[in-house]
Amino acid sequence: MASELSEIESFLKSTAPFDRLGDEQVRAIVRKITVRYYRSGDEILRSGEHNDFLFVVRSGAVELRLAGDELTARLEQGGCFAFPSLLRGGEVRNTTTALEDTLCYLLPADEFHALRKSSQGFRDYFADSEQERIRSAVRDLKCNRSQSLEQITIGSLVPHREPVSCSPNLSIADAASLMSDRDVSTLAVYSDGRLKGIFTDKDLRNRVVAMRRSLDAPISDVMTPSPLTLPEGASLSEAMGMMAAGGFRHIPALGPTGELRAILSATDILAHLGDSAIDTGMLVSNAASPDALIAASRQIPEGFARMEAGGFHAEHTMRFTSALGEAVHRRAAQLAEAELGPPPVPYALLVFGSLARGEQLVGSDQDNGIVMDDAVDGAGREYFAALGARVSDILNDAGYVYCNGGIMAGNADQRLTVGEWRDRYSRWISDPDEDSILRATIFFDMRAVHGSAELAANLRSPVLEQAKASPLFISYLARDAQRSRVPLGIFRNLVLEKSADGEKIFDAKAQAILPIIDIARSLAFSEGIAAVGTLERLDALADAGKMARGDAESLKDAFLLVNELRIAHQAAQVRAGIAPDNRIAPATLSPLERDYLKDAFPVVRAGLESLKRNLAGGIA
Amino acid sequence: MGRWRFARGLKACAAADDEVLTRYAAAAWPSPDILAREAPLLALDFELDGLARNAHVLQAGWIGFDSGGIALAGARSVDVRSLRQLDDSAVAVHGIGEERARQGVALQEAARSFLGDLAGRILVAHGSSIERDVIRRISRAMFGIEAPVRAICTLHLERRISPNLVGSDAYRLSAARKRHNLPGYAQHDALSDALATAELFLAQLSRLPADVRLGSLESW
Repeated sequence: MASELSEIESFLKSTAPFDRLGDEQVRAIVRKITVRYYRSGDEILRSGEHNDFLFVVRSGAVELRLAGDELTARLEQGGCFAFPSLLRGGEVRNTTTALEDTLCYLLPADEFHALRKSSQGFRDYFADSEQERIRSAVRDLKCNRSQSLEQITIGSLVPHREPVSCSPNLSIADAASLMSDRDVSTLAVYSDGRLKGIFTDKDLRNRVVAMRRSLDAPISDVMTPSPLTLPEGASLSEAMGMMAAGGFRHIPALGPTGELRAILSATDILAHLGDSAIDTGMLVSNAASPDALIAASRQIPEGFARMEAGGFHAEHTMRFTSALGEAVHRRAAQLAEAELGPPPVPYALLVFGSLARGEQLVGSDQDNGIVMDDAVDGAGREYFAALGARVSDILNDAGYVYCNGGIMAGNADQRLTVGEWRDRYSRWISDPDEDSILRATIFFDMRAVHGSAELAANLRSPVLEQAKASPLFISYLARDAQRSRVPLGIFRNLVLEKSADGEKIFDAKAQAILPIIDIARSLAFSEGIAAVGTLERLDALADAGKMARGDAESLKDAFLLVNELRIAHQAAQVRAGIAPDNRIAPATLSPLERDYLKDAFPVVRAGLESLKRNLAGGIA
Repeated sequence: MGRWRFARGLKACAAADDEVLTRYAAAAWPSPDILAREAPLLALDFELDGLARNAHVLQAGWIGFDSGGIALAGARSVDVRSLRQLDDSAVAVHGIGEERARQGVALQEAARSFLGDLAGRILVAHGSSIERDVIRRISRAMFGIEAPVRAICTLHLERRISPNLVGSDAYRLSAARKRHNLPGYAQHDALSDALATAELFLAQLSRLPADVRLGSLESW
């Protein structure tokens, strides 16, 4: 057997879009490749020339500049370039230069076209326009995430909490108090490092109390010995089948070496299948005390992780998580009112930022305030001071921690009358400067979640009118949006932007989501559009003819795509017991996901460019 | 002397009554005065069953190229039949066991194949004296005539480009490739090593003056 070019073959198989081809196809195209080496600084292609190859970066990095001038992209290992010229018939528009010593694989144009003809995946990847590519990317991600019961593993369903265990000699009484202390319904009985049995609440009822057993008997007398187990990689449907066939409700999930990782209960499965967001919502809305509310609210991250595992799409996960957040805020205000007595004048609890837009994920701090009726007096203000402080405290305990910037009802400058809020907004709008805009943008995404909707509306509509009529304010908003550093060729750029601890990190929120939010907000205010959510704003802009439908769709797709990745990242953190954040290590993304991101960034950049051209003009 | 020896060797090949050798002799051998960038090249690597002078060839991999690139369509790799009891330590390196070695093609067939591709090209190898010696030895055994070989040694070249590195490990194929930002390849597969060497030579060439002559890089 002659050895083949296995190095190149396996590289291509792990590189988009070749990973979409069959083994035979990859093997065949390996033979068509020419390998070239470029020294750092070498020009690989020049704008205006003719090109007959698809280039794949095998090692090193390259930079593409439109017409040799404006930076289009930076690519590193696995990046493809020069295909737009092939799609155009050969004319090169991007001058491409090696940033480092670079090894490239070149695939002839006729092979490229043949693959586009024979493979749908390959064709989608090289769709003629960025818009089409990103749309097919979102479609792909949705398919991947919509897992069936066959594909969900029981390990992913049960959070990795240490199962509570005891030895077989422990008395029933001690075992019961252990379960009570640790608040578990299932006990794992261990000896010599092996799982000997399990013991549940139900066993306590049926085999101990009902049988009038002595509580001094060892637990081994009443446990279910040698329970059926499953590896944690087993599918949900396997577990359900086993429970149904065996008539039991608990299955120990074992790790790779047979160690007990978790005990899967029927309730876990029901919680997964049932709409956990709604369950948690019920708990939140019915919470009879701050403690009950805090306990219910603490379940939100787990529900969030389950939604992700269950294949919920980004927009649904955001909407549910925001709805729960809203419910927690509302209930916190209601409970505070119950403690302090009814409010002396009408008021509303306002939320700002992501919660107002309905785009909250987990781990957000609180951004809120209170708007009071203008008739409030000194004693009334004291009431709302107490109310605001109480709401902020409850929210903090419920997981919506205090806002670093002080944007919370507990602070006096966040508790204003309608007139005072109007004056505040009016100052931001009529007399903008860079610094105040920086701190004020969050206030322009605002919604009332409790109290008098009328008060909030009285505040909101004049703000919209005034903003629309203030081009200077709009131009400041548009310019503020340009602060975000959208990565160019993304991972190459991220390498350049190492974090403080030297790690290479992509900040999904700051580098992709915030710019899209900024674009939508700036344009919405310039048109007087009342919608608050980013997707709704983009739709409204397209409906009003203020943004090309295709551009709006692309921005929406980019927004959803990056949020899908953010949600997956945060859900994994929640499952691992880590505080969720937005710092995604590029290495944790699949090559395909990286490619999707590479398609998303030009869309965001184009949106920012267009914003700058149209609205930010007139300011140096 | 090298040039003269090469010319004399070719003359002997031309007079041989085997087509592979006569074609080898009649090939358009490039002048040493041309630019190195214009030279036709062939990266070649043997996997041997040991380090002894009479070591058997177990596998040969080669690929023609020039400074414009390495067309993988021309990549060749053959397992060579060997009935010898294989040395365990060597098997551990190249992974070719006795069973696989018994299924290979006859050495003569392999030699005809790579000599055909080497005609008119300069051999490029990392530590090229091994490949050159093996080719001469095989050719002598098969035809009674030593086919002369022109070669560029990427190991020598690397010592020229980065002269002051400590330790001989720094000049191994993988270490040299790393310095030129080339990807890590699995080693000890003949074709993979040949390709790795070809890429290394392209990287080295990019560091030499554009007008460097072929003759100043090769040994005869």
